[in-house]
Amino acid sequence: MLRYIVKRVVAMAITLFIIISLSFFAIRLIPGDVAGENAAPEIKAAMEARYHLDRPLGEQYVIFMKNFLSFDFGESMTLYPRRPVFAIIRDKIPLTLMLNLFSLCLTIPIGLICGITAALKKNTAIDHAISAMVVFNVSVPAFVFASILQYIFAYRLGWFPFLLNLDSSLSFSKFVSMILPILALSFGGIATITRYMRAELFEALNSDYMLLSKSKGLSKVQSTLRHALRNSFIPLCNVIIPMFMGLLGGSMVVENIFGIPGIGSLTAASIQTSDYYLTIAVLFFYSIIGLTSMLIVDLSYGIVDPRIRIGGGKVRE
Amino acid sequence: MEKLLDVKNLYIHFNAFAGSVKAIRGVNFHLNKGETLAIVGESGSGKSVTTKAITRILPENAVIDSGEITYKGKDILNLTEKEFTDIRGREISLIFQDPLSALDPVMKIGNQIMETLVLKQKMSKKQARERTLELMEAVGIPEPKKRFNEYPFQFSGGMRQRIVIAIALACNPELLICDEPTTALDVTIQSQILKLIKKIQKENNLSVIFITHDLGVVANIADRVYVMYAGKIVEEGTVEDIFYDPKHPYTWSLLGSMPNLDTKGGDKLMMIPGTPPNMLYPPKGDAFAARNRYAMKIDFEREPPMFKVSDTHYAATWLLHPDAPKVDMPAHLKKRIEQQLEEAKKYNG
Repeated sequence: MLRYIVKRVVAMAITLFIIISLSFFAIRLIPGDVAGENAAPEIKAAMEARYHLDRPLGEQYVIFMKNFLSFDFGESMTLYPRRPVFAIIRDKIPLTLMLNLFSLCLTIPIGLICGITAALKKNTAIDHAISAMVVFNVSVPAFVFASILQYIFAYRLGWFPFLLNLDSSLSFSKFVSMILPILALSFGGIATITRYMRAELFEALNSDYMLLSKSKGLSKVQSTLRHALRNSFIPLCNVIIPMFMGLLGGSMVVENIFGIPGIGSLTAASIQTSDYYLTIAVLFFYSIIGLTSMLIVDLSYGIVDPRIRIGGGKVRE
Repeated sequence: MEKLLDVKNLYIHFNAFAGSVKAIRGVNFHLNKGETLAIVGESGSGKSVTTKAITRILPENAVIDSGEITYKGKDILNLTEKEFTDIRGREISLIFQDPLSALDPVMKIGNQIMETLVLKQKMSKKQARERTLELMEAVGIPEPKKRFNEYPFQFSGGMRQRIVIAIALACNPELLICDEPTTALDVTIQSQILKLIKKIQKENNLSVIFITHDLGVVANIADRVYVMYAGKIVEEGTVEDIFYDPKHPYTWSLLGSMPNLDTKGGDKLMMIPGTPPNMLYPPKGDAFAARNRYAMKIDFEREPPMFKVSDTHYAATWLLHPDAPKVDMPAHLKKRIEQQLEEAKKYNG
């Protein structure tokens, strides 16, 4: 087990290295200037000197990597001049985390309930209604939802504010202003969980072990709770764990629409302003989240599923 | 003799995309207390559907059109689901064809056996655990204490079937239905499992319904045999009746197509031409007529009733009608039966 984890972590480090290198070069391909178009030549020269932009690209890369490997991620150039990027990201995380946590509190229970209901009532009106909801939620992108919610509930009805209330403490008015973004963030996740839950549970319900548990004399409720649900939750790990990791990531589009100064909008802004080091740091952050969640999913299988935990692929004859 | 189970005039169809599939078309049979009954027939003849109807675990698209299934004087089909849940598992138990997928893959073996005891028999956890270990011992699982905490994937096919049998026996049922319990297993394991079922039956005085397409198994285990074809019983009788004096051409073909130890390389096995009828459109007359060398004109027009051969032996074929031409079973089958009878005499004498 330990060896496996070490192997995975090493692979992760290599992946991260490649991602950072690629983003370092890719970001230079975006047109734009650090100092801005109308800056005086002296200012431009000073900035370029400060951030080593006057050196050849290869040399820049070596300097950047050296700093990066010693955990000096650089500082913001244009968006928050001279602030270390690490501190910027650290400041942005709480808000994004809070929003997404609320959204998950909504997503997971609703998704599970819808999925279980649909599987138990397969091919009834309820199932069809839930399936229609799923198709709708999966196919309509979050920013469309966000815009529609904003139009109807903020503009037409005026029930909620347009933008997020930026009070530092979680007041009631702040919570109210969070409702629309939370909804916009939740729709997709609900659909994903519902779809998986329905498929997995339906398969479990039709399995031979359910027939056996019925012929043992267990009632439908007993055998569903004891056998079908238990079996169908295992593959669901695959979907739910990355959602928890995604908590940190935020959504670029939804955050922009509701004026939320979180990680998502930071990403968009840093790219727009050619803030090289900030962009790389944000990408690095996203990559770590993605890779870690994959690692956790794989490890969690070993914990949840006895076939992997004990067997590790070996079958005793 | 006391009848434990009596199935009368059972008709079942399945609603499929293509239409309604008439799976069971008027099945009649009964099971006496303490006896072992075999239901034989090829795939799709309706054997499994019959047993699923008895235990009421038919799939949702199955419809019971008519018929009665009387168990100890109660019509099973008229009981509510709740009433029947008490009978199922406690009095009637089922052993499935495929033990490999019948067990819950993520639950410990011991808990799967214990489950019924705790939930249905209301035993305490401790009692149930002891009983489970006894059961595991009884079905021949070595080191039950250790195996108790293992998962199905750690068991071989034969061992899993033993666990399924232990589950079926957990509540001391009176009727055990074995739906092709050895089909998915190796030949060597098959005989072990058969021996185990036989032993358990003797010890617990169980009544057993044995579903199979393996005539070797039937000869080994059954008291009486029902031969099924296309959703109907075509011949019934004691094991001796069916093996030594078969009357229905379908039974002839089944027996004739089975190799035995005397079959030599050059010998031709009998084969049944064609395929079973499509039960979306059951044929008029005798369903076997199209594949039957001895079919007469009437076979294509009218369904044969059950003709009585002896008190225990009945067959549904027009050949038994007094006006029918006298047709004997195929010569090589006759020869083989005579051989077997002689051997049996030698063995007994």
